[in-house]
Parts: sequence; C-alpha cells; structure tokens
Amino acid sequence: MPSNEAQDLARIKKTLKELLVADLSLEDIKPEEIRDDEVLFGEGLGLDSLDAVEIVVILQRKFGLEVKDLENRKDVFYSIDTLAKYIYENKKNIS
Amino acid sequence: MKQVTERKRGNRLGFWFFRTSLKWTGLSGAYGLLYFVCLYYLIFDRTAVSASMAYIQRRFRAFNGIRKYLAVYRLFISQGKSLIDRYYVVSGLGQFDIELRGYDRIKGLLRDSKKGIILLTAHVGNWQVTMTALEKLGKTVYLLMSPEENAAVKNSLNIDSGNEKVKIISPDNFLGGIIEIMKAIDEGSLVSIMGDRSYGHSTSEVALLGDRAYFPHSAFSIAAAARCPVVVLLSAKVSTRKYVVDVSHVMEPRYRSRAKKKEEMEGFVQAYARVLEDYSAEYPYQWFMFHDIWGPENKAAAN
Repeated sequence: MPSNEAQDLARIKKTLKELLVADLSLEDIKPEEIRDDEVLFGEGLGLDSLDAVEIVVILQRKFGLEVKDLENRKDVFYSIDTLAKYIYENKKNIS
Repeated sequence: MKQVTERKRGNRLGFWFFRTSLKWTGLSGAYGLLYFVCLYYLIFDRTAVSASMAYIQRRFRAFNGIRKYLAVYRLFISQGKSLIDRYYVVSGLGQFDIELRGYDRIKGLLRDSKKGIILLTAHVGNWQVTMTALEKLGKTVYLLMSPEENAAVKNSLNIDSGNEKVKIISPDNFLGGIIEIMKAIDEGSLVSIMGDRSYGHSTSEVALLGDRAYFPHSAFSIAAAARCPVVVLLSAKVSTRKYVVDVSHVMEPRYRSRAKKKEEMEGFVQAYARVLEDYSAEYPYQWFMFHDIWGPENKAAAN
C-alpha cells in the first residue's frame, strides 16, 4: 500500500471516529476507543437505524458522497475500516 | 427492532363475495353486507374487539359497556367501508370526489426546495384514495411498509402492484430502509411513514386522549437530519362518494443540540399527537387504531 494512501485512510478513520462520537452523541466513549474493525450496528458499537441517518449525513456533508451510491451497499456500513475504504475510493471533497 | 406479528384477517372467498356484491349492487349493497360481517367479528373475534377497546375507551370515556361495544362495531364497519372503497378505486369501478386541503402549501415546499418531504400519516381514512389525490403533485411516493403477506388482501387491493409513482420501501431492509428513505428525500420524492405505531422503534411519550401514549419519533429524526419538512397526511370519508385529504399541517423539525436530539423531537411528536386528537374528535370512527398504543410494551421502546 503506498504510504500516502495509508496516511489518507488513517486520517479518514480518525475524522470518522470524531464525527461519530460528536454527531451520534456517543456517551462514555472516546474516538480513540473505537476499533477500526469494530462492528457498527447491532453487536459491537451498538448503533441503530437512526444512527445510520446521521452516518449518511456525515458521508454527504463532510465527505461529499452521494446517498444514491450507497443503496444496496450493506458492506460499507460494517465498520470504520469499511466506511473509510469507501470514502477513500469515492471521495470528492474530503476536508 | 422488535418484530411484531399480527393475525391476518380476510380470505379469498370473503373478498370474492364483496367484489361480486360491489359489481352487482354498487357501493351501498357492499356496505350493507358489512353490517352482518362486522357483527360476526364483534361477537366471535375477541382479539379484534379487545384490540379496539384501548382506543374506544379513551375516545368515548362517558360511554357505558354496551355503548363501547357499539362504538367498536361502528369502527369495524367504518374500516370495512374503507376496504371496499379501496377496491372500488383500484378495480376501476369508479372514483371518489376528493377535496385536497393544503395542496398549495405542499406544492410550494416542493418548488422551493430540491429536497423531498416526509409524509407522516396514520391508520386513518383510506390510503389508496390518498395516493390518488397526491398524484397531481407529479412526484414518486415511497411507502415505508412491510410487503403485504396476506395473498388475498394483496390481490384484492392491488398492493405491491408495481405502480411507477407509488413504490414500497420495506422496513425489513438493511437499517430499516434508512438508506432508501434518505435517497428518496434527496431525489425530491415523498416518503410516507406511519407515525401512530412504533412497530418496535424507539418512541416518545405524548399526551393523547387523556392518557400517556407512545409514538415513534423516527420520522422527525430523519427529517431533522435530512433537513426536510414533515407534512402530516390524513384522509377521511365525509360522505358516500367524497373524501377529504389533508396535508395542511407542516412541521420543520430541527435540533439545536445533538446530545438532546430525542428530547427536542418530543415537541414535534406531541404536535403530531394533537393533530390526531383533533382528527379523532372530528372523525372518531375513522382512526383504525387496533392496538394499545398506551400500553406498557410501547413504553419499553421509549427507553
């Protein structure tokens, strides 16, 4: 993996974790405590469908991604790893 | 999300009977049959009567036992008429006059924003007639509902018919269909969500008909995140051949603090409950609430 890709992915994961904790109002959890491979929904982090709304909004507003491209992409929402990979591959205006 | 399983009523023979009488005798003849069929349900279907009582007892507090049973009977007949009317429309036997209240407002909302609208509806009136009324907006309407499992109901009422302008998003989809809902709103479409039953979703406590009831807040949470309006969608039968469809109640849910999002949504859920309370005051036998939304099992979902 080229080093700049690894750096980009690491930066995206860090930003994602910070946004999840802030926008989903996750109590008693710090961004650095979320594992990259932790399952987001159900088991693991325990997010629900209304949290998914906020994640979609994050992907739209913070990363400039289109919601229509996320249809039937269950795999994207599995973990921070899968979200970051999707953002990296589809990013348009990562801040 | 908790799965809710309910008994399905109606079979092919029953629907054939009503279809045939509708073709031969028209609406009034088919309505006449209802008085016998509903009497059967009133006497023998304890589950249906019991399920209706939670609403009837609160709506008609001054009624004694006999009058409450009569109210349940009227509620059954009213829902039967709604089903017959639905078949009447989808089978092309005729149309109803529809008065659409709030059309200019909803048209203005769609014109001024690229976003769609969440139509927050309830188990009231007749959604088939409502969909007919909304056709003039020229927008695709997505219904968040489970695919009809009762084949007799599905075939007779033309549900899941593949209508290009009315599409179904199943709550059984990944994340409860949230991605499809957000996509539809983004495309400027209308998304219809039932707001008067939780179906296992997280709820907010509201004052309703003199008691504390529990309504889901998901429609408001989605609208706040997607920055789109919520329009309460109601319909009511006002005469044998006329319906009123009301889209005049518009809300713009937003939250100032993400940490207190649920608390901030409660005000909007209460406003919706007040609209339904007013509706039940005007059309007491057209809120087909066959579920105890005041019951403790709904409260559990509120936590």
